[in-house]
This record gives sequence, structure tokens and C-alpha cells, in this order.
Amino acid sequence: MLIPRRVKHRKQHRPHRTGQATGGTQVSFGEYGIQALTPAYVTNRQIESARIAMTRHIKRGGKVWINIYPDRPLTKKPAETRMGSGKGSPEWWVANVKPGRVLFEVAGVSEELAKEALTRAIHKLPLKARIIKREEGDA
Amino acid sequence: MADENKVVAELRESFGKGAARKLRALGKIPAVIYGHGGEPQHVSLPGHQVALIIRKSNAVLALDIDGTTQLTLVKDVQKDPVRQVIEHLDLIVVRQGEKVEVEVPIRVEGESYPGTIASLETTTLLVSVEATHIPEGFELSVEGLEEGQHVFAKDVPLPAGATLISDPELLVVGIMVPAATLAEGEEGEEGESTEAAAE
Repeated sequence: MLIPRRVKHRKQHRPHRTGQATGGTQVSFGEYGIQALTPAYVTNRQIESARIAMTRHIKRGGKVWINIYPDRPLTKKPAETRMGSGKGSPEWWVANVKPGRVLFEVAGVSEELAKEALTRAIHKLPLKARIIKREEGDA
Repeated sequence: MADENKVVAELRESFGKGAARKLRALGKIPAVIYGHGGEPQHVSLPGHQVALIIRKSNAVLALDIDGTTQLTLVKDVQKDPVRQVIEHLDLIVVRQGEKVEVEVPIRVEGESYPGTIASLETTTLLVSVEATHIPEGFELSVEGLEEGQHVFAKDVPLPAGATLISDPELLVVGIMVPAATLAEGEEGEEGESTEAAAE
């Protein structure tokens, strides 16, 4: 699973969820990709789950790129704890995904296989997404 | 190419986001034309027609501005990533017969040796071509290529009149055997070890 090796601050504020993605909005490496349509915190477990769903379907052949990285820690207070006594302990590592962001890319497989693999990956993610193809016209 | 892409442009006199939004609501695209040392011209273009034209890379538009025809090359496209609406265009003035440097996409054709995949490492090549004869793409055949073989930028067949500007030794396609899917056990172990590292 993806996890930062070392962090400057163990506990952080929750990342902003407003606005749209300003970069990483096009398919840059592969031929097909998954583009987020809603904002979400995507955990490292979800990323791994989506990757496995994709690679298992593709079997042999093809190449998969993961364009997001879960670099933000989210904390949680234990159950049945009174308020106060400081911030909870880090519980999840998430990627702060905003609409427009391309999350995964695939290349080296047929369109049909790529779309099915990416659909399986979308089912593992906590957001609405669509499959997009590399565009030639973007100068 | 230019005849097909004849577009009637209207000069803009109001600027800023408010005016631009009003134009977009009318189905038009705000654009700017510059180049060749002239003053920039602000125009509005018909949205649907232009969107269809610029689906192809390096589209050349023959703009009809107040009765005068101006050849322009699409330099930059600003697109809303979610709605896929074209928000603004940058157009650069070109002249008939003038050579321009453009990024032309590479299209891989054919199947490499069974059991191997052709990995496209570079998707576009920078070439110098005549503005009115920009190729839509370079067809690159990987038919029968075996594992470990490489195709470099210098090996890509260019049409007559095109000169390669990119590094000739730039790797374009590599033929490789795809890595097998990781066994489930390996994945589990990997996950646990990395989790421990973050604590």
C-alpha cells in the first residue's frame, strides 16, 4: 500500500475539498484514464484495491499508472471518548482528489479491456468518475 | 487544410471575465490572436464549429475578420476539465509557406511479437513543418518487433518537408514483455511492511 516514508507533521488539518483540480487533468502517460467528477478523500487502501481490480482484469499485458498519492493523514478519536484531550491519532492516509483529476491510467491493452478494467477500478473508489481517452487536439 | 477550417471571427471590444462569460453563454469562444510583431487581436469564435475543428492536433484556422482572412495556428486551448467546455483559445498568426515548430502526435500501428507489448514512451515529436501542411500524426509500425527492440525519434518516418527538432536519440517505443500480475501473498506482505514504516 502507498504510504509516506517520513512526514513533517504527523497530524494535519483536514485538506480543503473545494474547487477543481488545476493540474493532472489530462491523460499524460497511458491511453485511457479515470477522471474524478466529484471531490473525495481517496485512502491508500482504496487506491490499492482499485489497482488490484485493474491489474487482475488485465492479467498479462498493459501498463498501469497511479497518478495520485495518499500524502495527507486523517485522524480519528477512539469510540466512546469524551471531547477534548487533544487531537485523535492518525487513522488513514488519503489523497485529496478534486473534480477533473485523472487518478489512474492504462496503456497497452485494447479499448474494450481497458474500459472494463477501469470500470472495475471506479467501483472501488469513493467518488463519481468517468473514463477518458487521450486527446490529440489539446495543443 | 485551411479551406476546410474557414471560421468567421468577430472582434471583441469588451474584456474581462464578465464579458467572456456572456460570450460563452451565447455559445461563443473568446480567443486572442498574436504573433509576427503585430498588436494582439481579441476575437470571439463560433463555439461548436471551432470545437469540432480543434479535435485534431495543430489545427490551422482561416479566420475571416471583418472581411480579411487571417491564417492562425492553435497555440493553446483552455478547457474546463470536468465539463470539457473550451473556455479560451490562443491563436498564433502564420503565413502561407511559413515553417512552424509543432508537436505532432505519434500513432502506433500493428502488433509487436506475440507476448510482448509496445510501450509508447514519447507521445509527440517536435518537428518543423510548413504551417499549411502540418501532418495530423506520424504512423509508426511496430509490426513484428521483438522484445528489447527500441524505436528512436530518428527512426520515425517523417513526411517530405518536415524536419525533426526533438532529440534524434529520444526513445519513442520500447518493446517489452509485460510484468506478470503480483501474487496475492506478495501484495499482503508489502502492505504490512509499509504500514509499519509510517508509524
